[in-house]
This record gives sequence, C-alpha cells and structure tokens, in this order.
Amino acid sequence: MTEKVTHSICVGGPIAIHTKNGIIRRIRPIIFKDEDPAGWVINARGKKYTPYRKSTVALHAMTEKIRAYAYDRIRYPMIREDFVETPDGQNRNTENRGKSGYRRASWDEALDLVTREIQRIQGTYGKESVTAITSSHHSWGLVGYKLSAFARFFRMLGYTQILDNPDSWEGFTWGAPHTYGYHWRLGGAETFDLLEDALQNVETMIMWSHDPDSTRGGYAANESTMWRHWLDDMGIQFIYIDPFNNFSSVKQADKWFAPRPGTDAALCEAIAYVWLTENTYDKGYIEKHAHRFDEWADYILGNATDCTPKTPQWAETETGIPAADIKALARRWASTKTMGGSGLRGGFGGVCRTANGTEFARLMVQLFAMQGMGKPGQNIWSGNTGAPMDYGFWFGGYSDPLASIANQPVADNAAVNCVTQKLYRPNLPDAILDGHYEWYGEGFCGGGIDLEFTEHIYPEPGCSKIHMFYRYGGTFMGTMLDTNKWVRMYRSPELQFVVNQDIHFHGEARFADVILPACTNMERYDIGELCNSGNGGYQSHSQTGNNWQIVVFQDKAIEPLWESHSDYWIFSQLAKRLGWGEKYTEGRSELDWCKRFWEKSDLCKRISWEDFTRKGYYLAGVPENWERHYAFRWFVDGYPCDTPNHKDFQEEGKLGTFTGKFEFVSESLLYWAPYDETRTPIATYKHSWEGHHSIKAKKYPFHLISPHPRFDYHTHTGSSTPWLWEIPQNRKYINGNPYLIARIHPEKADEKGIKEGDFVLLFNERGSVVCIANITYRVEKNTIHAYCSSPIYNPVKPGETSMDIGGCVNVLVPGRLIGSMVPGMSPNSCLMDICKYEGPLPDCQCFESKLESVAFDADPDAETCKEIIEGHGFEKIQIKVMEKYKDKDGSVK
Amino acid sequence: MRLGIAIDSRMCMACYCCFIACKDEHCGYGSSISEAQPMMGQFWMDIREWERGDNSRRIKTATVPTPCSHCSDPACMKVAKNGAVYKRPDGIVIIDPEKAKGQKAIVDACPIGAIYWNEELQLPQKCTMCAELLDDPEYLGYLDDSKKKVPRCVEACPNNALFFGDLDDSESEISKVIASNRVTQLEPLEGQETNIVHLNIPTIFLAGTVYFPKEQDEVCIGARIKLTCRETGEKWDTKTNYFGDWEVEWLPKNKTIDIAISFNGYKPATYTSFTDSDHYIDMTYLEKE
Repeated sequence: MTEKVTHSICVGGPIAIHTKNGIIRRIRPIIFKDEDPAGWVINARGKKYTPYRKSTVALHAMTEKIRAYAYDRIRYPMIREDFVETPDGQNRNTENRGKSGYRRASWDEALDLVTREIQRIQGTYGKESVTAITSSHHSWGLVGYKLSAFARFFRMLGYTQILDNPDSWEGFTWGAPHTYGYHWRLGGAETFDLLEDALQNVETMIMWSHDPDSTRGGYAANESTMWRHWLDDMGIQFIYIDPFNNFSSVKQADKWFAPRPGTDAALCEAIAYVWLTENTYDKGYIEKHAHRFDEWADYILGNATDCTPKTPQWAETETGIPAADIKALARRWASTKTMGGSGLRGGFGGVCRTANGTEFARLMVQLFAMQGMGKPGQNIWSGNTGAPMDYGFWFGGYSDPLASIANQPVADNAAVNCVTQKLYRPNLPDAILDGHYEWYGEGFCGGGIDLEFTEHIYPEPGCSKIHMFYRYGGTFMGTMLDTNKWVRMYRSPELQFVVNQDIHFHGEARFADVILPACTNMERYDIGELCNSGNGGYQSHSQTGNNWQIVVFQDKAIEPLWESHSDYWIFSQLAKRLGWGEKYTEGRSELDWCKRFWEKSDLCKRISWEDFTRKGYYLAGVPENWERHYAFRWFVDGYPCDTPNHKDFQEEGKLGTFTGKFEFVSESLLYWAPYDETRTPIATYKHSWEGHHSIKAKKYPFHLISPHPRFDYHTHTGSSTPWLWEIPQNRKYINGNPYLIARIHPEKADEKGIKEGDFVLLFNERGSVVCIANITYRVEKNTIHAYCSSPIYNPVKPGETSMDIGGCVNVLVPGRLIGSMVPGMSPNSCLMDICKYEGPLPDCQCFESKLESVAFDADPDAETCKEIIEGHGFEKIQIKVMEKYKDKDGSVK
Repeated sequence: MRLGIAIDSRMCMACYCCFIACKDEHCGYGSSISEAQPMMGQFWMDIREWERGDNSRRIKTATVPTPCSHCSDPACMKVAKNGAVYKRPDGIVIIDPEKAKGQKAIVDACPIGAIYWNEELQLPQKCTMCAELLDDPEYLGYLDDSKKKVPRCVEACPNNALFFGDLDDSESEISKVIASNRVTQLEPLEGQETNIVHLNIPTIFLAGTVYFPKEQDEVCIGARIKLTCRETGEKWDTKTNYFGDWEVEWLPKNKTIDIAISFNGYKPATYTSFTDSDHYIDMTYLEKE
C-alpha cells in the first residue's frame, strides 16, 4: 500500500503527514508545487530578497508522530480509584488527588458521571458553581480550538469563566497603552511592511529581552530566521539585551548586554539621560507628538523630587553594565537608523514579566518615540513580523470572533454564557482556597484602557462559589505562579469534582477525578492557517511573521488511537446527555464545520472545496505590487492612517492615548490610578518587591529567570517526546528521569562548589526543584536561568508540595501580581538560592507514579515505564496499534 | 557521482529540526540497509556545540551538525570483516546490518565518533544519508523537482544550513556553496576527502574592549589593534568599534599571539595570548602619555 499524504498544522508550523497502512510513518515540511504562487520579492540595497519555496518547521512540528503514539497518551477514560460519588459532594478523599491511582472506565460510565455531577452541582448551587479553563495552543485549528468547540459547550452550559491573564505581554498590556495606546494590540506596536523597511533602511537592531529563534514569532515556525540572516549579512549591528545570552544572541549578537534582572527600566532612563544631555534625540518629532515631555525630562535629569539624575553611572550601580558601555549604546542608537523591540513580536519578552514590567514597557516605547518612531528604518520592530501579505485575502484566525463555532456566522446560533461571575487565572487557587478574591481588570483588556480598571469580586454578590472544575489541555503547573498553590487547591474539598480532558498525561491531569482522553490533531478533521491569531484580534495580522500565508485542510490522517475521541465528540456527547446535543452540533460533523469556515471566508472565492481538500492546503500569494502600509508612517507623515486593523481616531493622526500623543506623563493613569505606586503617571525605574534591594535577597541572593522555552511549546511537547530530553541544552536524562538544565555563572558555581553536570537544588520559601547545572558565561552573574513551561511536574511525594524533580521551576516563582492595580504576573521577579544536591533521588519516578495505568498498556510485558521509553517502545506501540487497526477490519478512510 | 551534504556552521542556529527529523525517520524503522535506530541514545545527526570565550564580555557558541562523514577512504571499512562496511557507487557508506553483527571494532574505528553501538542487536549503526529513501521510487520528491530527493535532515533545515547534491558536478548547488565558503573539515579528518563537507566551523577569536582612563567612563573608538603571531609572523590589524570593542576571528590554533593596542596621546598597551581556546583579553583602560 502506498503512502497517503495528508496535511496539518501545529504550533511548530504546517506539516505533511505520511501514513502507511493506517499508521503515521513520517512528518515532513509541506512540499510546494509548481502551480503554487511565487514568493514576494523585496528590493533592498541593490539586492533582491525572496523566501525559499518551502514551509519551514520548528522542532516541535517534527515531533507530531511520536506525540501521537507517545507512551504518555491517555488511552481510555479513567476515574480516580478512591473517588466516591457521594450524593452531597462531601467526603470524596479530595486530599488524595495527585496521589491516588486510576481505574479504567468506559466512555459511558465516565460521561454519565460527568453529566450527573454537572447536573447535581449546578442544580444545587447554581450555574456559576461550575468553572472551566484551557491552556493555549495544545492543538491548532478553528473547529477544535478552545475558543470554538470548548467555548461553545461551556457558554451553552453556563459557567464561571476564568479570565486569562495576558501572560506573555504583561508589562506591555498594562503599561504601554498609557504611553501610546495600542490597547487593542495589548500594548504591542503595529509592524506592517516593516520587513521591507528594515531591509532597505535599518542600521542597528535592538533585541531587548528577545530570543526570536526560540519564540519563533509565536507559532510561525522558523519562517523569519532567514530575514535576520539577511540583515546580519548586510552588516546590520545586532545588540541583544538580556540577562541570559539567549540562543539567538549567542549566534548573532554584535554586542550583548546583561542587565541584572528587573533593572532594564534603569537602563532605559540612562539612555534617555545621554540623549537629553547630548541633544541627540528628535526634537521636532517630540515637540509635535509628545505630551508633557519636559516634566519627564526634568525627572530624568534629576530636577524632580527624587533629585537623582539618571546618569549612566547611576544605572551602572543598578544594572551592572559599565557606564561607558551605556553611553556607547545610547550614542549608537541615536546616530544610526535603529529598530528594535522586546520579545516575540516587539511587545513581549521576559522583562515585561517582572515587578517593573509596565515601567520598562512604557520607557522602551518612549525611547523609540524620542528617535522618531515611524520614520524609515526607525521603529518598534523586532525582526520577525511585517512581511508582505495579501491584505485582501481573509481567512479567520483562532481569536477572531467571526471564526469560531461558538459564534455566528459560522454557527447558525451563537452560544452565550448566562453567568456573569468571573475568576482570574493567576489567582484561581487563592479564590478557591480563601473563598474570596478581588482584582482589577478583564484579563485581556483589548477593548479599551478603561477595562483595566473594572473591579471584580469573587464570589460575585448573589453568586455561589465554585464546586466543579473542568480542566482542558496542557498543564498550568509549569506555566502559572507559585504552583504548589495549585496542589493545595486541588486537595481542597471545596472542589467537589474535577475533570481533566487532555491528550497526554501531563502534570496536572493526575489531580482529576475523571480523565477524558482526547485525540491529536491528526486523528480528526480541522482547518487552520499558519500563525493566524485573527485579523482584528489582539495580534492582528500575525501571519506577517511568515514568508507564506498558508491555509491547511487538517485532514484526518488516522482514526483516533486507543479509545480517544476528538474534543468536539466529547463535548457533543456531554451536550447530548445534558439534553441539548442537537443545539450544540446544529447537526454538523467536524468536517461540516470545516466546510463552514471555507464557505464563510475568502477561501471559497479562491479555491473550490474539492480542490482544497484534495490538495490539502491553499497558498495565498502576494500580488507583485502589493499594497504597502508601513507601520506608523501615517503618524510621521501626517496622512490618514491606512494600516490594517486601525481605529477611527488614527485617521486623524492620533494615538490611542487620552491626548492622542505619546504621553510622557500619562493622563489615563492620572485619571484612573493617580496614587498607584507600581505604575506611576511618569514611568520610572522602581526597585522590585522581590529583587536585589529586598531584605529577602540576603537569604536568597540569586535571581531566577524562567523565559518562554526553546525546546517546547508551552507544556505541550516535552513530556511525550523523549528525543527532546537528549538535547544537552534542554535536559539530561538520568535513571529514567529527564532533569531540566539550570544555568549558573562560573564564578558563582565556583563559590558554591558546583561542577558542570552536577545535581543542583534550586530553592526558596515556596518550593524546591532539582536540576542539572550548566556552568556558563552566558548568564549574568547573579542570575540562574532555567526555562519555564515544564510539562513534567514530578514531586518526590506525589500530591504533596514536596521537592520536584520534573524541572517545574514555576513552583519557585512568586504568586504576587505586578501591583495591586496591575494584575499581571511577574515570574521573572524571583529570588532563590542554589546548592549542590547530594540527597537521594527516586529512580524514574516520573513514570512510575500514576502513569502505570497509562504507559503499561503500550507494553504489558515491560517491568518499568523506563523500559517502555528507552526500549523499542515506539515500535511496539505501533505494532499494537496496527493490530487493533486490523481488528477494526482496516476501514480507515 | 558522489553524493554529499555541505553543512554550514555559520547558518546553523542549533534549532534541532534535522536532529528530530532523523529520529522521526529512523527510530523504530529499519530497512534493507540498516536496522532501526533505537528510541534513545543514538544520534545519527548529532549536534555538537561548544561555548566560545572565557568571559561574559564576549561569548559565542559554535554548532556543528555531525553525521557520519561518509569518508572517501573510511577507517571503519578498513577494520570491518566480511565486507560489513561498503561504499555505494554514489559514495554513501553503509554498514551492512547482517554482516556487521558483533563487530564493535567498526564503532571504535570512527575518528569522529559518528558510529553507535546497539547493545541489544550487537550492531554498529550510523547515518545512511537516507539512502533507503533516495532509492525508494515511492518516496516523494522535494520542492518543485519531483525527481529531486534529499535526506530528511536537509529537507527539515529551515535555514539552508544543509545542502545536498552531487559533489562531482561543479554546477550543482552544493558545489557552488562549497566553492563560495570556507571549508573547515573536522579536525580528526583533516586532509581526508569526505562526502560531508563542513563549512565555516570557527577556529579561535581574540577580543577585548578599550576604554579611556577609568574616571572618564568612555569607550575608545578607533584604537588600533595589532596582532602578531610569534611562530609564523602573520599579522592582523583591526580597530575598536563604536563600543570600543575589537575582535579578530579565524586565528590559527595553538599559537602565541602578541597584541598591541595604541591610540594617539595614550600609552600603548600590550598583551600576549595563546590560542588554545577563544579568549576575551581585557577591558583595557588607556593611560595618558
């Protein structure tokens, strides 16, 4: 039988899936065909630049096969073995969550139980007593995504929504809009057509807390890596600022600055000081476009109440960067055409997730304004968005309200949640454990600056508390804060019933009462576009991070493995049992929904449904003379704003601030939060509440920084893919357990008696994690670097808040938010200490505990899970799957 | 015809796509020319990396994707008994999965450690340059050219750090890439012809920063830096840039280098360094004459 080729898309890029005899054989990048359109051509400095004719992948995309057959796939529905379905929800041994094993259940038993509990709890306490939340991006596609199938189900059911915090943008979301608007982009700047601008004009790139080869434009695979090589080859100077000489920096930086974590705002102020004293900023621009600049300048120059000039020498004491170097940086920036930005797409980066994150974000924007932001070669642009695109072609992105099965026009009837009570994700454990929580803001406040200041109280007056928690996809143990709190929450009898629906047995699944196995993208139908988060959404036109705009028919390559089912099937079944199945599905199969997305977008004008599904993808070309909408040029040149996704007031030349100008003294903060000490009307460098000036620093002298990971995507890949554990910069696999790498400066390692490859304990008052030491000059002296987003959470004592050997450093980071009125998380303001670890370590615990019931099904003859992972487990798993497949008389489509 | 892969260390960002693609292809799947790669522990496409520099002031990494080099005169072939290692007409070196059983000497013979021992099967194993796919008429081609097939690692590279083609054809893409780059063979294979051609593997850099006297807090731009090799007399000239930084790359290894730093009106500064590894020389603070 020849290979069948189908296509899919994931956070690592678009892929072709080769299937033979109903088994996935290999994953490849998509092979473009002759008939596919030509790529754009940018003429710059006497050369022509055009992308290579292939879709790139990131390493996680290449793991899709092994993830499908992974040893840790949840294979069938499971119920906690000591769960008792008491009629009043009490005495359910909730203290054993995370500790107890599971027994296999049939789908009917599991779904009936979930249905009964929803009905009992909502019947007893009200609709709002059920809550549910998902991780982001554990799958891709408009049908199955959390804002689609999941949202449709829970909105129709009625539930307390848990607001996501803007976890990747914090400082920019809560800070930058008060300086230059763009709240509708969560504080990030527009970057339309800036790739061309940069190739033609830029001379210096400032990569501030930015590792583009690791964060990869969000989910744009490695599409933009080549652009930065082009710039590098022209001799463009790349300056990286990051306490860790990150993976892009170490390959490309002409200069690396390593500020002490959380002091970046001080560096901003010193740069401004140099420009102000040397008259090297764009005075005309500032005169025209800045509001209350002089008051701010007075503060920088030391004429304000603090009487402290923000000199390079002053900044040296805070940042550790020599004053002479700071001056040189300021002069290079001012004397050359400079672009830059922070993290991912310019308004991200680890530094914005510190106690001083809002102030850094605002100051960074102010610096770009001082150099004439919007002029050719001078802009906020971080080298990985702004490619030419066909703005006339619309296909929905995942956050686009028009592209969800929960909404019209894709659905005939929209799903509307009848419950107004809300919760806030970073503080979910506090709310459950304390029974009361208050906070400001609507999570993602893209609808307006005022939304940052709405007051929330849980329980909402007249509402009931939460008694049922439905968790879907991924694990927060590795992405949220002080995650031992989550352990305590799960053990609370307040949560009478917990469901976890996921593909793999991640660190959080083991706390559920009922586990429902979902299938991967390759086992169901879906449809989606590479890196499209929704035009009009918070990251509008994020596809400009790609070389190619590509919509993929995510065909079903194989039938769902073991007893797993698609998320849509699971929700449909629950809806049916709850009595509104028809209403949920509107009679549509997943394939029918896929066709709706084709029909309700421009896709139907470009390619027939038959051709699209046969070919598997549609590549939207860029017209030869594409429309240019250079970001921010309208603002400088004074013509009505023409960039996609703009607001009406921009057409009058205004920004989204109160005054329409760059506010160096923020009128919006003076109006809403004049006395907030965290985010002051004038953005200033402030000592962190957990930083080197804290008393606590005497006990815990190291800063922990835990940026977004290079070798995983959120928590979705690393647990199921042992190959990733063999990457020396990622983990070290010892005795059946993959330990995370933690990086320490040689001088400090020497003081602590730590050698390369030693076991080390990272610890503070919140918890402890065992890692493997990598001794490297790539970290700032006072910094320990260890990536967050560990998919493996593996406490030595399951179900307790004990030492973790899974590399889940999020147990160390503070649960405290940036400020009382700034509800952003700041995991990178974290103090800790480190020592060599010589205590006992359990063998292979990760996979022995709780996982037996999951992994042993793959190979019942194996004695340990370690054997399954290291042996030819993969092959055996495939053979078993093949046998099962044959039993089903081979009737795979 | 001599099939080969050119590997450009300068373009490699250590993204590990080739590494995973190789595992995706070979773990759990054997063919007539090789047994399956075990799930863990073998790296037919190994990414070898080292940190360059001894000071946070200047630090880089070198990345060298390292599969079997498919030598023209393979050391492993010489120690193999019963013709267990053979060279195909297209130049690809293959370990016969039947004949090589029990021959651990094949592993030990490899000068670059690119052959792995499969304990369970008692078998030496390594990269096949995906010859089994190149031979398979049903395996789909690559990009526009349906006839053109490339190894999985090359196809997965998002950054054109890997080029596949015929080394004997001077018009092929791979030959052109090799001709326009610095060829830097792996040290243990120096002087030998191999079908894997490594490009731009760095040698040694020396770097430093020049400042005016400490109390001025100013970098010195345009200071002259002269490097002289004691052994060979070779000289390198450079100037400090806008950060006061200077750097000389591609220095010969294990030589003694004299460094002279000068700037008008200031006393010259001199250093001596040995190029056993990459060094950041100093933050040099000039003194008035």
